[in-house]
Amino acid sequence: MATLPPSPFDRDRRNRRTMIAMAGVGLSMLALGFASVPLYRIFCEQTGFGGTTMRADANVQVREAAGHTMSIRFDSNVQPGMPWQFYPEHRTDTVTVGSKDMAIFIAKNMSDKPVTGTASFNVTPSQAGAYFTKIQCFCFTQQTLQPGQEVRMPVLYFVDPKILNDPDNKDTQQITLSYTFYPVEQDKKPS
Amino acid sequence: MNKVKSLVLAGLLAFAPSIAMNGQALAQDNVAAAAPAADNAAAPADSAANAAAPAAEAAPVAKVAAPPRMKPTEGIGMPKPGEVTLQEQFTSTGHTARWLHDKMLLPLIFAISILVLALMLYAMWRFRASANPIPSKTSHNTFIEVVWTVLPVLILLVVAVPSIGLLADQYKPAPKDALTVKVTGYQWYWGYEYPDAGIPEFVSNMLTEEQAKASGEPHQLAADNRLILPAGRPIKLIITAADVIHSFAVPSLWVKMDAVPGRLNEKSFTIEKPGVYYGQCSELCGARHGFMPIAIEALPPAQFDQWVLSQGGKPAGAAPAVAAAAAAPAADAKL
Amino acid sequence: MTTITADHHGDHAHDHHDADHKPAFFQRWFMSTNHKDIGTLYLIFAIFAGVVGGAISGLMRVELAQPGIQYLQGWANIQHSLLGAEPASLDQAYHLWNALITAHGLIMVFFMVMPAIIGGFGNWFVPIMIGAPDMAFPRMNNISFWLLIPAFALLLGSAFVPGGTGYGAGTGWTVYAPLSTSGSAGPAVDMAILSLHIAGAGSILGAVNFITTILNMRAPGMTLHKMPLFVWSVLVTAFLLLLALPVLAAAITMLLTDRNFGTTFYDAAGGGDPELYQHLFWFFGHPEVYIMILPGFGIVSQIISTFSKKPVFGYLGMAYAMVAIGVVGFVVWAHHMFTTGMSVNVKMYFTAATMVIAVPTGIKIFSWIATIWGGSISYKTPMVWALGFIFLFTVGGVTGVVLANGGVDDVLHDTYYVVAHFHYVLSLGAVFSLFAGFYYWFPKMSGRMYNEFLGQLHFWVFFVGVNLLFFPMHFLGLSGMPRRYPDYPAAFEKWNQVATHGYEIMAVGMLIFFINVFWSLAAGKKAAGNPWGEGATTLEWTLSSPPPFHQFETLPVIDDAAHH
Repeated sequence: MATLPPSPFDRDRRNRRTMIAMAGVGLSMLALGFASVPLYRIFCEQTGFGGTTMRADANVQVREAAGHTMSIRFDSNVQPGMPWQFYPEHRTDTVTVGSKDMAIFIAKNMSDKPVTGTASFNVTPSQAGAYFTKIQCFCFTQQTLQPGQEVRMPVLYFVDPKILNDPDNKDTQQITLSYTFYPVEQDKKPS
Repeated sequence: MNKVKSLVLAGLLAFAPSIAMNGQALAQDNVAAAAPAADNAAAPADSAANAAAPAAEAAPVAKVAAPPRMKPTEGIGMPKPGEVTLQEQFTSTGHTARWLHDKMLLPLIFAISILVLALMLYAMWRFRASANPIPSKTSHNTFIEVVWTVLPVLILLVVAVPSIGLLADQYKPAPKDALTVKVTGYQWYWGYEYPDAGIPEFVSNMLTEEQAKASGEPHQLAADNRLILPAGRPIKLIITAADVIHSFAVPSLWVKMDAVPGRLNEKSFTIEKPGVYYGQCSELCGARHGFMPIAIEALPPAQFDQWVLSQGGKPAGAAPAVAAAAAAPAADAKL
Repeated sequence: MTTITADHHGDHAHDHHDADHKPAFFQRWFMSTNHKDIGTLYLIFAIFAGVVGGAISGLMRVELAQPGIQYLQGWANIQHSLLGAEPASLDQAYHLWNALITAHGLIMVFFMVMPAIIGGFGNWFVPIMIGAPDMAFPRMNNISFWLLIPAFALLLGSAFVPGGTGYGAGTGWTVYAPLSTSGSAGPAVDMAILSLHIAGAGSILGAVNFITTILNMRAPGMTLHKMPLFVWSVLVTAFLLLLALPVLAAAITMLLTDRNFGTTFYDAAGGGDPELYQHLFWFFGHPEVYIMILPGFGIVSQIISTFSKKPVFGYLGMAYAMVAIGVVGFVVWAHHMFTTGMSVNVKMYFTAATMVIAVPTGIKIFSWIATIWGGSISYKTPMVWALGFIFLFTVGGVTGVVLANGGVDDVLHDTYYVVAHFHYVLSLGAVFSLFAGFYYWFPKMSGRMYNEFLGQLHFWVFFVGVNLLFFPMHFLGLSGMPRRYPDYPAAFEKWNQVATHGYEIMAVGMLIFFINVFWSLAAGKKAAGNPWGEGATTLEWTLSSPPPFHQFETLPVIDDAAHH
């Protein structure tokens, strides 16, 4: 390759160029590390990775797959210390794949103060996440309950008929939809 | 041996004191679910009470006696002293996985290690300086380089087939009528809830050394309230955590699934034989990570239904016949 | 592999006069810009950190020798009395256990192996091997080293401030959220995270320096494909550092803000996801294990070639196998997360991708054997360590193939099987390569020969010790013993006891090592420029031992006729 020894001046300039390029690589990776937060969320929302559910408009058109049903189980959790009762009206439900269905969760504030909550959610088995689509959900927004107030919170959802063509889901007979309610604290902004 | 006494006690007791040193009191564990042993610091979390509340209203008063606490079999469902290999398996994925490990991977890795060792020892002896003063200058041999690249690829392809098959088998979701039990990891105990049977969450704490000895169980593995499951029926565990990440692991059932706060995981399996199967938390979760064991008691289906009734729950597809059978004396059941 | 033109030797006497002018003590060691001095500083630091990390593992092995808690409570009480706190509760003693395992992991990874193998040997020999007078950025090199000191001080200091249940950071080296966020109140975890930030920053600067040096500072004729494999290994490692460490920095920065500023990157309560942290950590963490082992591959290649008096077999295959390992190392991270509940097809991908690593690793192992094949092998201490490395790394590697199987990993994950696996590749792999390199280059660095008998004795005692220590851990893991446990059921007693005895034997081996080092430094025979004979063909052996303070002021010219 190099036949003549480079002069120290040339070498210093080349070194500086390489250093700047490498520092750029390092900084890009640092940026990628931070960017992974939104990227990961988008990735999960697009692919259903980790059992992330899909979201659709209220006027979405789905084709009902008559004769194909799916059992849906509803699971509820409340962060320890949060003074709420939170449970599904029905533990399980059977729906026709592709048809829109409504599930009701009941939440009650057991304390004498208003409490605002926000819910995290996912479905299992995780490969079903890409096909479990919510049209309307209490989990999209924060919920505030007055002392002693009890509310019935709807989830409008459907199971995408494409699930019937997915070999990874050929044995999926039941999808579990799980929510965990957390109190919203003043200093914790949802990110 | 405690069956008769257990029956008597189990019907009477509505509270769960700590396990006493004598065998009689052991039956108490099966009774009242939500109260932890008094001398354990861990308390059921608020959410346990919350989750319990709606279900408890509907729950009938327990009239059926719980089956007696099962004795573990030495060396089954627990590590054996000085063991050098995997625990005996009691699920179908356990058998497949153990076969893959024992019959395929283990011989393969032994063969590779011994091949490398033999080649090295031979070369080290044959080409020692005193025997081979003039070194060869060979530094390339395309043929042999291709061979030792392609051969491992082929071996890995052969290994990959059953590995992928095992994964597919292992992650086959349970049928929709599987018994669903909710497992929640807490710092530092486990909570078990049977949503379909209407049995509210109860918690499971480690027994102290004395308590474990009195109960004839291995210390560090024995727990007060066991996770009671039916043998021979498909089971789906839905697993989450309340505080930090835990991991629900039972080696003899080939089960290990992280319990992640704010997220649900599921794990399906069928236990082949009644028995007691122990496991331990397998994700660092703080100070008492090493002290929140998992004890599963797999009962014959009839006895399991009896246990469900004894907890005030309703067995799956509860027909009067089932209830009647369950109410029959537990002494009939052969474990 | 390469030869250099003879006129360089002619200049030597003249070189020596100017080149050996050394600055005064403070200037030389505290404001050093000399790659060899900085390398020496790194090695001294790594040995010190290794003693600390090794002593901690001794505490762990003593406690684990029998079931029950024997000493932990007493140590926790000592820790508490040092701080003027009340005697420790049992939970605080358990917390101390978690702090010990965390400290052991972090120290051995960030403050022992990395400083020794990259900072120490890399600094010492990369510039010399490519015929450069020094690193590209000598002052930056100095900063890289001195950042380690506050980093290490922060980590050690974290043991004496509250970290949740007790004192110290008890999160494991992986620092998983939410145990490390909501689960660990107090400044200990913040200090440990800052320590990683600082050590990581130093390593990134070092990586930039190595890349620039290797790409731009090679002597005329030293093409990339003529570079010694050790230089190749450091080049690949430096790229891995540059790509992986910033991701760790981002990940733990978000941990810090989650802990202190109310963000919820990893907190499900605010829409975050604790598993994102695991993805980020292992995106760094898996390349990190190659960062620790690749330079070891390079060292072993040099030594095997030297003492077989043969060029390395399949040089290009060896170099590109390391590149392949580095590349594949970035796409396998989630095999550390097989039990987090990922879907089956994701698991299948990571199973398959992980197994692929076995192919370039196999190429390396077989090429080393082919290198000694037909050679004229002399069994000097460095060679014995290098041969030990090859076999033990193989043993550690094959258990990796077992663990790569997502389905099998379900029972082995987070058990002692994993502990055995990564100690075979690191404690018996990377550490064996460190000792091999240390004995190989000790005469060059110090100008004195080590004691051959003590070196061989060290090897055999250490070899027996670490195998007794780590091999039974396979059995413990297979039969189900989870890692990070201070106590265990009685069934695990036998192999734990054997392991602790193994530790004792290993400790004797380390004693022999230190005796050898001190004796050799004080009274070792003067070393020739090339004590290893015709097999040692890299440039460092053309210089005096120790090399002049400034080498290659006239650049060596690498003969074009050189071959591999």
